[in-house]
Amino acid sequence: MTGITAVGAYAPRFRITSEAFTEAWGQFQAAGIAEKAVPAADEDALTMAYEAATRALEAADCTGKDISWLGFATSNPPLAEEDLTARLGALLALPADSTRHVFTGSTRAGTRALWAGMDAVDAGSKRGLIVAADAPRGEPDDAIDQAAGAGAAAFVLETDGEATIVDRAEYAAAYPGTRFRETGSETTDGLGITQYDRQAFAETIGGAVDGLERDPEPDAAAIQAPDGKLPYRVAGPAGVSTDEIQAVATVHDLGDLGAASVPVSLARALADGHESVLAVSHGSGAGADAFVLDSSGPIPAAVDLEGGDTLSYAEYLRQRGVVTSGQPAGGGAYVSVPTWQRSLPQRYRLEAGRCPDCGSLSFPPGGACDDCGSLAEPTPVELAGTGTIEAVTTISQGGAPPEFAEQQAQSGDYAAAIVALESDTGDTVSVPAMGTDAEPSVFSVGDRVETTIRRIYTQEGVTRYGFKIRPAAE
Amino acid sequence: MRDAYLIGAGQSPYGAFPDESYRSLFRTAYEAAVESVPNGLESDDVDEAFVGTLGVGGRQLGLPGPAVTEHVGLDGVPCTRVENACAASGFAVRQAIQAVKSGMADVVLAGGFEVMTDMSSDATKYWLGVSGETEWERLSGTTFSGVYAQMASAHMDAYGTTREQLSRVAVKNHANGAKNPHAQLGFECSLEDAQSAPVVADPLNLYHCCPTSDGAACALIVSEDVVDDYTDEPIRVAGVGAGSDTVGLFQRDSYTGVPASQQAAEAAYEMAEIEPGAVDFAEVHDCFAIAELLAYEDLGFCEKGDAGAFVESGATRLEGELPVNTSGGLKSKGHPIGATGAGQVVEAFKQLSGTAGDRQLENPTRGLTHNVGGSGGAAVVHVFEKETEVNA
Repeated sequence: MTGITAVGAYAPRFRITSEAFTEAWGQFQAAGIAEKAVPAADEDALTMAYEAATRALEAADCTGKDISWLGFATSNPPLAEEDLTARLGALLALPADSTRHVFTGSTRAGTRALWAGMDAVDAGSKRGLIVAADAPRGEPDDAIDQAAGAGAAAFVLETDGEATIVDRAEYAAAYPGTRFRETGSETTDGLGITQYDRQAFAETIGGAVDGLERDPEPDAAAIQAPDGKLPYRVAGPAGVSTDEIQAVATVHDLGDLGAASVPVSLARALADGHESVLAVSHGSGAGADAFVLDSSGPIPAAVDLEGGDTLSYAEYLRQRGVVTSGQPAGGGAYVSVPTWQRSLPQRYRLEAGRCPDCGSLSFPPGGACDDCGSLAEPTPVELAGTGTIEAVTTISQGGAPPEFAEQQAQSGDYAAAIVALESDTGDTVSVPAMGTDAEPSVFSVGDRVETTIRRIYTQEGVTRYGFKIRPAAE
Repeated sequence: MRDAYLIGAGQSPYGAFPDESYRSLFRTAYEAAVESVPNGLESDDVDEAFVGTLGVGGRQLGLPGPAVTEHVGLDGVPCTRVENACAASGFAVRQAIQAVKSGMADVVLAGGFEVMTDMSSDATKYWLGVSGETEWERLSGTTFSGVYAQMASAHMDAYGTTREQLSRVAVKNHANGAKNPHAQLGFECSLEDAQSAPVVADPLNLYHCCPTSDGAACALIVSEDVVDDYTDEPIRVAGVGAGSDTVGLFQRDSYTGVPASQQAAEAAYEMAEIEPGAVDFAEVHDCFAIAELLAYEDLGFCEKGDAGAFVESGATRLEGELPVNTSGGLKSKGHPIGATGAGQVVEAFKQLSGTAGDRQLENPTRGLTHNVGGSGGAAVVHVFEKETEVNA
């Protein structure tokens, strides 16, 4: 039977409290949310998916090369058209012939991906990776935006996984207008017809649970959480108590995670060792998926959802780009998309070159060896993603190249460093990298850092992703 | 090879000039250079021209050389544009010297220009960054202030160099620039001013960074065969040296020095048959305060790691044992990118010909100019020597 062998989950470091909204607006419209996660200016669903997927693969003790089926779910893809699993797969080093699917258009997308992944593994796909990442957006003065959090979860799926999916059911009924995003719009909307919205939520969730063959008696229930109250309102239809919902709820601390809502709660449940878990999603339209999982104890997991820095409301508006004016005129450094594309092995997977003549590393590979001058074709070597800062500066307002001016307006000063990154055999090669995930002042010469993937910048409408550095995990 | 001589040099004021064009600035510099030739020079005498410019603003990105030389009546004269970022016209001077020494030309004009202040600050930043390594270094979020700040961080970490020592470079160069009527920022600043300015790229603050400037500069290089026609007090080009390196700082072995500068200096000293101690004054490339400190070490004025203490000792002040940047340097005089290298030669000419006004050194014999492109992708060093004094 298909099961989950490892989980990973991620939330951005920034938090904002409900009090900050109350102070700014005189009220906070997102019931039951004490604080929520806020994506940094250089994060989006794709980078959060990378974070969660990397954690899940590490927990599973495998790599992207072992993945034959990838499902990526989000209600807020960074691009409305373009299959982002090609980039996500490249970031994770998936084989080019692995099957990939995007699931979007609904907060139910995360469980839809899980559903499809199960089918694929049942049909013989060796190892599936399901990644749900989301960061909903509304207008600053509406409940959707005030609830909107950010986070991601990833699951490695195999036959005979440790947490077995023992039952599943789905249910749909037409309820237009509960939550929608018009074509071309960046913000999700709702008509706010309270009883109608609640009825859509309760009917679909109840319908999916009723469709299960088993009568679940879970000790944890991961229920879709557009705010901190709705999931508890459907405890009855879902056949669970509020305690079981609260046990793995993430909405109170992370906000509405959209398509990642149920996946992140499910990841927490499996990481915490709950032995029987009910997971029920809801997506507007409306529909729901219900899953029952049995687990014999905690499964391999990397689920760190702790926050770091609390934002003021003004900082929140800056990070989200609400009050910044976009990229300045005057252009940026022109790096053509084909040029950028050729560098993806370096930007995504830290592929350096080793000189066949003298053995020293070069980055980026190509051209004469920095050490011996040999023009022989270097052997590709993937660096480990950890290193030591050799030189560093904090770029202050006015010091950023124009193509980074918008990011700086959003996220403030940033660190720019030269880092000696290590190979598996311990020698190093120097690379330039921007700091992220921490205040710039924490980066000093001699400090240990690790790489991650973030948005670098956007030119000609094409967002370029690549590695940045952050302080090394303890 | 024939000897080459510097018979004249002149520059426009450096600054922000909404009423001037790149051509009018170049004309001012050219006329000043011609004017400075002791026995006079006719435009017809010029055999060849080399013009340095980065092309900030893109105003005449193709054929900018002939665009300025024809404007001063040198149409017909072979003209080549030289581009090596901030070292463009330092290399134009080098090309002129090579043309003379090779025997192909007797009288060569070497000049440069840049207009940098007639566009938005964002557009300027775009152009300022184009000489950094674009794909990796720039896209890690740096322009040159960031890259030089990284060098400063490494130097501070390795040798204990301090922010105060960086600020002392600014104080010294402003003191000199205040005596230079052509300087863009010709005012004195206190150590406190230079320490409390807003941070641009930590540890560099605004006073550790040169301004953006409009300006032009020209130098006239002639052969030993014709030098007597133009001057009775010849200034010989005693040494020339140049070097190059990776464009990106991250690909170099060391961030606490500029290998291209070291290479250029070594070659120039060898040709001039002198030690660094024989230099009476120097114009060095202080685009950022740390760059001047690195230059002290790269040019052999002090031991590796001692540059901070060296500036603190006062040795490089106008009245010190080795005055550096008597013109005010890039920091105070200004840095119109393509003009800078030739502008350094202007200061060398003025000091050696006794026409440096309030900042005139007492009868110097030998001056060095040091011009760097980018963070050290190219560097060029010249040593000029007052021949009458040497031979006496």
